[in-house]
Amino acid sequence: MTPDLIYGLTGIAVFGIGLVGALCAQDRLRRVLALKLCSVGAGFLLVVGAWREPPATPDPVPHALVITGIVVMVSATAVALALIRRLQTLEATDER
Amino acid sequence: MTDPLMIFDLLLALAIVALAVASLSVRDLFSMIVLFIIFGLLSALAWVRLSAPDVALAEAAIGTGVTGALLLKTLHHLRYVSGTLGQQTALGVTPVAPVPMGIILANAGFCGLITLGLLVAFLGAPATGPGFDALVAEAMPQSGVEHPVTGVLLNFRAYDTLMEVVVLLAAVIAVWQIERGLSDAPAPVMGEVWQGFARLALPAIVVVGTYLLWVGAEAPGGAFQGGAVLAAVGLLLLLTRAYIPQPAHRGVARGAFVLGTAAFALVAILVAGGGRVAFEYPLEHAKTLILLIEGVVTLSIAVTLAALFHGREPVALSEGGRHDT
Amino acid sequence: MSVELSPMILAIFLPLFGAIVAFLMPRMAALIGLGTLAMTTGAVIWLAHEVLVTGAVVLPLGGWGAPLGIDLRADGLSVAMLTLTSAVGFLVSIAALDSLKGADQVRQRQYFWPLWLLLLTGMNGVYLSTDIFNLYVMIEVIALAAVGLTVLSGSRAALQAGLEYMYASILGALLFLMGVGFVYLQLGRLDFAGLSGAAPTGALVAALALIFVGLALKTALFPLHFWLPAAHANATAPASALLSGLVVKAALYIVLRLAQYMPFPSENLLTLVGLMGAGAVIWGGVQALRAERLKLLVAWSTVAQIGLIFVAFARAGELGLTESWKAAALLILAHGIAKAAMFLAAGRIKDEIGHDVIRDLDRTPIRPTLAQFTFALAAISLIGLPPSLGFIGKWALMEGAMAAGYWHWVAVTMVGTLLSVAYFSRVFAGFLRFDRVRAPVGEHQGWALADAAPLTLALMAIGLGLLAAPLLSFLEIGYPFGVAP
Repeated sequence: MTPDLIYGLTGIAVFGIGLVGALCAQDRLRRVLALKLCSVGAGFLLVVGAWREPPATPDPVPHALVITGIVVMVSATAVALALIRRLQTLEATDER
Repeated sequence: MTDPLMIFDLLLALAIVALAVASLSVRDLFSMIVLFIIFGLLSALAWVRLSAPDVALAEAAIGTGVTGALLLKTLHHLRYVSGTLGQQTALGVTPVAPVPMGIILANAGFCGLITLGLLVAFLGAPATGPGFDALVAEAMPQSGVEHPVTGVLLNFRAYDTLMEVVVLLAAVIAVWQIERGLSDAPAPVMGEVWQGFARLALPAIVVVGTYLLWVGAEAPGGAFQGGAVLAAVGLLLLLTRAYIPQPAHRGVARGAFVLGTAAFALVAILVAGGGRVAFEYPLEHAKTLILLIEGVVTLSIAVTLAALFHGREPVALSEGGRHDT
Repeated sequence: MSVELSPMILAIFLPLFGAIVAFLMPRMAALIGLGTLAMTTGAVIWLAHEVLVTGAVVLPLGGWGAPLGIDLRADGLSVAMLTLTSAVGFLVSIAALDSLKGADQVRQRQYFWPLWLLLLTGMNGVYLSTDIFNLYVMIEVIALAAVGLTVLSGSRAALQAGLEYMYASILGALLFLMGVGFVYLQLGRLDFAGLSGAAPTGALVAALALIFVGLALKTALFPLHFWLPAAHANATAPASALLSGLVVKAALYIVLRLAQYMPFPSENLLTLVGLMGAGAVIWGGVQALRAERLKLLVAWSTVAQIGLIFVAFARAGELGLTESWKAAALLILAHGIAKAAMFLAAGRIKDEIGHDVIRDLDRTPIRPTLAQFTFALAAISLIGLPPSLGFIGKWALMEGAMAAGYWHWVAVTMVGTLLSVAYFSRVFAGFLRFDRVRAPVGEHQGWALADAAPLTLALMAIGLGLLAAPLLSFLEIGYPFGVAP
């Protein structure tokens, strides 16, 4: 049982868990978090694909892809959170 | 050495999955974010086990660190706006009806099927598939750096990296467009211990961040990881109110946001000519160009991430209307 | 040091630099934006000339060459999409000068241009890319810029719609990324050339499914269309024109390209795609009939038209794909132009009358005749009346379906056409009835220079139908779907 098998299954499981959260979570913050879980799952898949049995070094291209993916995800998360904050402020002002 | 490590891997994998489930099912939002941060750090550990230290650094710093900070700040804002700031509320801040169990189960079943399909597909894929290994090994001597991941990020696939920085720029422009003015939520009061900690930690953070950037040419590290650590400087300054963003500083801030993208894109275009295409760095200057680009991009990333944390354009407080201006 | 630049590089980098300068100098943002659009259009024309003369053009960025590096490739289809983006974008930009001129719209003016230029960068990047991870990053650029444009007005409805759009967008992109991961697992490479000829193993089928669902979310294909009507209806007029006319096309284009290269596991997949398209045509039409506001009606019409494009794609099954893509491409071009014109016209009508409630369109003495005329012209193309480009596209769709014996697609198209006649007639009735207004109705009121841009777009939508033959032969340059280039 090599690490790539264990973590590959982990990654797909995490993606699935995130998917459930993204589809049915009602709270806005939770949905954002669920999407972040999905992105971590996708990252696992790529890193697992890059893994090579030691002493061989792993394939560096998927590592670069995942780093790119992480930065892209934080950007998207920041925008989503800004929308949530502004929406909350507007809703609170409407109710007053 | 495989057996004890295999048990470690299994335990870690279990912990990661358990934390993912826990963070989504716990009721208190603050606990949810904390569990997510632990989940992120354990994922980074898993990636170290998979021989991916660069990715682990990036996930720990950006994926978990900055994202966690963003989430906590948003939670603080939401709690203030909904008037539940001091309370130990267990429920979420947006008033939502609890989702009926039937829907949750149906969704879980649906996603479970999808996950199962993906698992089957994963197990059927070649165990050690073909990859870019040979191509990268062959091209590394011409890349100008010794660390393969840096070579891929800043030379072979530099176009993707440029677009990644463009995504960051787009995010900060969008966030500035969405929110402006003073934050409604009062900043938390930072005590003396916190101020002392910031005084000690700041120089250390700057050193670590710059080191991460510098060492990226030969070892795991690089512009993004270094930039995220340096963003922590910005976060600390914002949290301790040592720096309060002023409307007058907007021009400088804008300049800092675009500097990385502009420099990266300019270098990419200016090297074209004399038989070379865009992004084709001449061999003898490759290392210098890459370091130059990395340095400027690191600065940009640090300022951009700090601005995303602050979350709003510092605009003079004359307008009160919600619709525009 | 002389710098030689390919027009492909210019098409992507000019908008990027334009966005940077427009962000740095907000007061001159409009001027910079228009100038950048003009220069980008010039670069696209240059590229079109090159492609016409030498066939498909390839540029290996960094000199490395796929699969290690990323290649840019321009063939007939790419250039057609680039031209669509530039032409529509240029005219929408001119219209935006008028739409955003209000005194209370300083921020909107300031931020519209950097966001729109970044959107243009992303779209041009998609149309020239040959690497699926590069496509992922580009669609994220598009997504963030598009969300920024959706919430430009700052109203609560726009923000709510923008947040839903953001969720759908991120989920779609992550599904796409997961698909990229599976492609890497199976093939070890990420470029189009690696995909063609690959056997449909389990991992590749999973990748295909994930990528398709992700793209379906982004292009609002039924039943994943839920975010589109609110988002497009609540955005300001130029933003809606860009979103409906251009943004959804990017994901559609990627579906076309991947169908060209990726192995198709079975015919049933295409039938499923066609069914989803049929559902969109019918559901979108029904909802458009029920819409109370003009912009909401136009947004639902987009849902229906996207469905029609997918029906065109599936019209003749797997064997017919080598020709069906042309019908889909024609419909994409027709819809992009006509829908942008329609949203701009709807915006003009709303500006002049003050509201866009369909039932009350005929209750005001103000008649923005030119805007209404533009709306009608755009509707002609969307309904599919000759000689518009929409007509040519629908004709191609039905011809291919009949030749392959798939009468169900013909039936769907006809139902869709009838529904569009019905819902557009609601609007026409509002334009034409005067007996409800007590005050004297002024003739030719509400004309403005601002109507010129939408009118030009609507005329293009109709006139291009006459140029269908040269258009089709241009699309075939570089053999998309044919002999491997």
